[in-house]
Amino acid sequence: MQKNWPFQSVLIANRGEIASRIVRTVQRLGLRAVVVHHAVDAGTPAVRQADAAIEIHGATPVAAYLDGAQIIEAARGAGAGAIHPGYGFLSENAGFARACAQAGLVFVGPSPEVIDLMGDKVRARAFVAQGGFPVAPSAIEDDDPASFAERALAVGFPLLIKPAAGGGGKGMRVVREAAQLGAELERARSEGQRYFGDGRLYVERFVENPRHIEVQVLGDAHGHVVHLFERECSVQRRFQKIVEESPSPALTPEQRRDICATAAGIARRAGYANAGTVEFIFGGGDFYFLEMNTRLQVEHPVTEEVLGIDLVEQQLRVAAGEPLGFAQDDLQPRGHAIEFRLYAEDPARGYLPTTGPVLALHEPRGPGVRIDSGIAAGQEVTAAFDPMLAKLIASGATRTEAMATARRALSEYVLLGCKTNAGFLRRLLDHPAFAAGEIHTGFLDAHPEVAAEPPLAADTLHRLLATAALASRPVRDAADAVPALHAAMGAWRN
Amino acid sequence: MAHAFILNGDEHELWLSHERGGYRLHVNALQLPVKLLPRGDDLHELIVHDDSHRVFIAQRGDEVHVHLDGETHSLRYVHSLSRFAGENKDEGEAVARAPMPGAVIAVSVEAGQQVQRGQPLMVIESMKMETTISAACDGTVQALHVSVGQTFDRDAVLVTLDRNGTA
Repeated sequence: MQKNWPFQSVLIANRGEIASRIVRTVQRLGLRAVVVHHAVDAGTPAVRQADAAIEIHGATPVAAYLDGAQIIEAARGAGAGAIHPGYGFLSENAGFARACAQAGLVFVGPSPEVIDLMGDKVRARAFVAQGGFPVAPSAIEDDDPASFAERALAVGFPLLIKPAAGGGGKGMRVVREAAQLGAELERARSEGQRYFGDGRLYVERFVENPRHIEVQVLGDAHGHVVHLFERECSVQRRFQKIVEESPSPALTPEQRRDICATAAGIARRAGYANAGTVEFIFGGGDFYFLEMNTRLQVEHPVTEEVLGIDLVEQQLRVAAGEPLGFAQDDLQPRGHAIEFRLYAEDPARGYLPTTGPVLALHEPRGPGVRIDSGIAAGQEVTAAFDPMLAKLIASGATRTEAMATARRALSEYVLLGCKTNAGFLRRLLDHPAFAAGEIHTGFLDAHPEVAAEPPLAADTLHRLLATAALASRPVRDAADAVPALHAAMGAWRN
Repeated sequence: MAHAFILNGDEHELWLSHERGGYRLHVNALQLPVKLLPRGDDLHELIVHDDSHRVFIAQRGDEVHVHLDGETHSLRYVHSLSRFAGENKDEGEAVARAPMPGAVIAVSVEAGQQVQRGQPLMVIESMKMETTISAACDGTVQALHVSVGQTFDRDAVLVTLDRNGTA
């Protein structure tokens, strides 16, 4: 049953929860898992679980994980035959994929050509439109830079400015009035230049309060492509997802069939091999192609839970040259799964990132609860990386059941020392509009009460003060220094 | 003299006294019999009157972090000395602090330079967004505490101005 892998050892070029999650599958398949890590991550779960860990260096911790040459060197030194890039960092870097191939290493991802195509949002969009798939009205600077501003105006307001080389919400700006267009274009250009080394832009009609629906696809090197149904990721802050679920509560069976077939069609046209995600904007019953992510997605676990498929295993099998082990009709989603991203941030303070030590950590368990975590007690949460700490995935037969499981699990998630958004996620879950599935990408702006910290009840305040007083040395010492009788007298005078 | 804890920016005074078999909490003109029993790891049982509550507690220095009824709260013990120490009245405007953790992208002034209220001092980046830190008052740049590329935590001092440096 067990195949002969063309590689025995896989290096994971990532950190945090995703490194840990990939290590698990690599080891389950009987392969050796090697991780690279910057010194600040020495105490993370991935480093402890891995069969080997290699320290990498950089001017900043992030720079170390972006240093492809150093990582390839580490892979060779450790005898790894393949590199799994996870998400972010080098995962959509075609140059890195090519360098892996040149070094005789299998890059666990699609071909560099497809990464290049989908990484250039302008080319990707044109490619999709040429295939007859739906895209939103837009203007592309590269088509004719001289007339760009004019063409941008013609798209109509509100519109969204995006860097041509962008992704992940970086450098995106909404413009509502013509008067602001010039200044916002310059700002977006500067951000694009800085983040991607590329100041080219495009603008697109901004669909007000749209839903974000994406489709997981999987292709092999033998020309087979299937879709693994949709995920809805409409609850976002700053264009970044907070909650993802499958199936989407918004789609009719016909819409689901169409959007999934469109995604598979786009992947097929691109000759896509490996796991990928086609993202769409959905509003007023229509959907438009947004972008394609040529990598494993943060929210991939919700798909895994409803389909009972390990996507990392599928990625490794495809990378090993195996044909897909199933056809489209074999895939039948069951039940409902919702993922909540636990961030080190303070929603009540504009979702600003928080920092601090992880003094205590207790994660919920039980049926229907999955935690993909990248932290351990004793670690320090710093501003060096993205503030995502862990993901909670709750499953159930229905959306309501999955939400009930999530509610319990979130209240049992204990992380002390660094403020997280766990309380905010519970308030979100309890919001009637969220419970009704009435979500869109502007949900949190439309419902600011979810982010606001509710006032403390007097009883809660007294319990907290009692706990703090009893746990604090100086307070207890002062109490213990006075015998009971005198203490009572003291209280009268107080 | 009472003890004090800061919770969500508010200071709360309290006093704890001994009582047979436990303690008595004096707070907001109330007296509550309280007990805290360790239950292994960070878990404790808090008893107020006869009601029992599961609490997780972790401490570092003066900070007490508490998980109660599914919510996490952070309290800070205020030492009596610092409670009554005079505050530096000037500090609000003459010190530019980080509104959020991040990194320095650009510095537009140098030490000794005269600046006017509203003048950009530096550009920081946090959460993929650029923010300009501007002078809150007229003055002279006394010190730059961070340089380009450097990261900092929330509330870190970025620039100090000397207000006397202006005419």
